[in-house]
Amino acid sequence: MQENTLGKGWYGMAGPLFHIEDLHVSVEDKEIVRGLNLTLKGGEIHAIMGPNGTGKSTLASALMGHPAYEIIGGKVTLDGEDVLEMSVDERARKGMFLAMQYPAEVPGVSNANFIRTALNARLGEGNEIPVMKFHRELQAQMKRLNIDPVFAERYLNEGFSGGEKKRNEILQMVMLKPRVVILDEIDSGLDIDALKIVAEAVNSMRSPEVTFLIITHYQRLLQYIVPDFVHVMMQGRIVRSGGRELAERLEAEGYDWLKHELGIEDETVGVQA
Amino acid sequence: MAEQTTTIVSVTAEALSVRYVEPDWLRKMRAGAWEIFQAAPSPKLEKTDLRDRSWDIGPYADEPGSPSEEAEALVGELAGQAYVHVRNGVAVAVHLPEALAAQGVVMTDLHTAVRDHADLVKAHLGTVVKPDEGKWAALNAALWHGGIFVYVPRNVVVDTPVHFVYEETGQAAGGAPRALVVADEHSALSYVEVFLTAGSQPDKVHTGVTEVIAKTGAKVTAAAVGGYRKGPANFSVRRAHIGNDASVDWVFADIGDGFSVVLLESDLAGDGSASTVQGIGIGTGRQHLDLTASVLHHGRYSTSDIQLHGAMKDRANAIYRSSTHIFKGAVGAGSEQHDRMLMLDKRARADAIPMLLIDENDVQRCGHAASVGRIDQNQVYYLMSRGIPRSEATKMIIWGYLEPTVQRIPSEVVRTHLVRRIDRELEA
Ligand SMILES: Nc1ncnc2c1ncn2[C@@H]1O[C@H](COP(=O)(O)OP(=O)(O)OP(=O)(O)O)[C@@H](O)[C@H]1O
Ligand SMILES: [Mg+2]
Repeated sequence: MQENTLGKGWYGMAGPLFHIEDLHVSVEDKEIVRGLNLTLKGGEIHAIMGPNGTGKSTLASALMGHPAYEIIGGKVTLDGEDVLEMSVDERARKGMFLAMQYPAEVPGVSNANFIRTALNARLGEGNEIPVMKFHRELQAQMKRLNIDPVFAERYLNEGFSGGEKKRNEILQMVMLKPRVVILDEIDSGLDIDALKIVAEAVNSMRSPEVTFLIITHYQRLLQYIVPDFVHVMMQGRIVRSGGRELAERLEAEGYDWLKHELGIEDETVGVQA
Repeated sequence: MAEQTTTIVSVTAEALSVRYVEPDWLRKMRAGAWEIFQAAPSPKLEKTDLRDRSWDIGPYADEPGSPSEEAEALVGELAGQAYVHVRNGVAVAVHLPEALAAQGVVMTDLHTAVRDHADLVKAHLGTVVKPDEGKWAALNAALWHGGIFVYVPRNVVVDTPVHFVYEETGQAAGGAPRALVVADEHSALSYVEVFLTAGSQPDKVHTGVTEVIAKTGAKVTAAAVGGYRKGPANFSVRRAHIGNDASVDWVFADIGDGFSVVLLESDLAGDGSASTVQGIGIGTGRQHLDLTASVLHHGRYSTSDIQLHGAMKDRANAIYRSSTHIFKGAVGAGSEQHDRMLMLDKRARADAIPMLLIDENDVQRCGHAASVGRIDQNQVYYLMSRGIPRSEATKMIIWGYLEPTVQRIPSEVVRTHLVRRIDRELEA
């Protein structure tokens, strides 16, 4: 690490290369992700769409290392390093970040204390951010995300509304400045103004040193955050990839045409593929 | 069934009365309590086996002995504030700031108060925790040694906390501290007691009693921080008597590896009276803690809220009972209970027992929730997913579970002391 500023590209290294190869994930002995391939490069924004229950959140959780999700096959690397060998916190310190569909509530732990501890963990011993500087930065970012300053001292996610939780995930993202960002339904529960603010935050982080994987059901988010690639997930794998026009067609026509083309009857992972 | 606990008491009520040149009423009170103690059967507790425990207390030291490092540091930080410091039963320091004395506040060690404020002490001592309510209340009433007396006159609001630091250094052979806190009508007070006990022989008894009286319209916060060490059997009774429109908010913390039976009770005697009981505990080693937080609703429109959070390490075994009793006539009373126990080690054991007795038909909401569990792995995952290592994440979650109660202790010095103690336990 070169410097402990909060400026862009604090890692001072080239853009990330995140590679998923033939990934298989099971939950409670049921295979949910079934042979998924995807490569994310610095500067790119990938969107994943797909009907309910097709394994999108499972993919995101497995990439982050959630203990309930068992990797039963495949490879995941970040800049050539084996991600699946890393503990959850190591993945985060390497620059991975997942904005969760359902973030946990942690009573008694203040939001500010949590974010500062996380940031210092990421900066590493000896490079901790001075307290005053942290609070200035936190307040500035909260203001920008239109989060009431009292949320700094509220307990982490406890009693937050759906939309407040999502904005708090984005606050963590802009504070931690990760390199591989996975957003799982960040738009659900957000009002239109909040959606624009969140999109602006994502767009401002867009650089050759960051790559994004955005899971969403709605084309609307993708009007604000324009993706380079759109992938459709069904039955636990990517069944179609394209550009932004793919998202537009799905928005207009739904998934039936695609299922028809692919000869898929049940798109979920509920029955055997 | 045969009496299985043995009674050997190495100190007598009469000797104490002589030592402190006590007035007749107190001499009689001690002697009467001693009779009750001797006649009372050894208590049978549902979850605590007392058969191997004997009832030995004393001999009491003539001199306080040398201080423990911990107590010395704490008292050092209290310099300039209101406190009574008792070591091994002997008062070693009484400090009442000028400003409080000028308001008419009385705060001194209980033996001195018996002499200098006889009427006030006589009118209140033993009225809230009576000698005949049980074996260890009787033992304390007969043999109490070292204590504090606090009196806040009518309409006086004391805005800085009053402290009672009670220390046993291990040379002591058990002990029997007693606290009497009286808040007169429409007064306000924050009272904090800290018990620091080094262990002593396992066949000794420690029996503490705290009486809090909140008269009409008085507002009292009463905090108790205890740390009983392996060794003597600890019996403690803390009770508040709460008058019309008065309130007592209890905050307590218990950290240790001792053998303890603890009762903390609010008697909501007055109409419109209110009480909260917020407690945390960390059990370590082979702690056995049998704790009851109880509220008795007698007054109309009385309200209460009990919240207990325990964390058990090692082979600690704790029973946290919260009990609310709404008596006939307590029209419009309302109560809440929330108990959570967190088991931090496989061999730790915990019970959370909610008890709710309602004799009155016309009550408000009476809710209760109790759970025993382990640290939520989803929370650990969430914190780790932001780069925080597992051990630190776990510590943050436990701290978060205890912190809101710590923050309610109305003395910064004691809060800081408690934070250090908890940190030390969680590091270990
Ligand atoms: N922890 C879990 N325990 C049991 N089943 C699970 C778990 N996680 C996921 N599943 C199951 O795996 C399947 C895929 O779930 P997943 O959450 O990945 O879908 P999704 O594509 O994100 O859906 P949505 O669009 O509704 O968010 C579902 O059938 C779900 O019930
Ligand atoms: Mg999902």
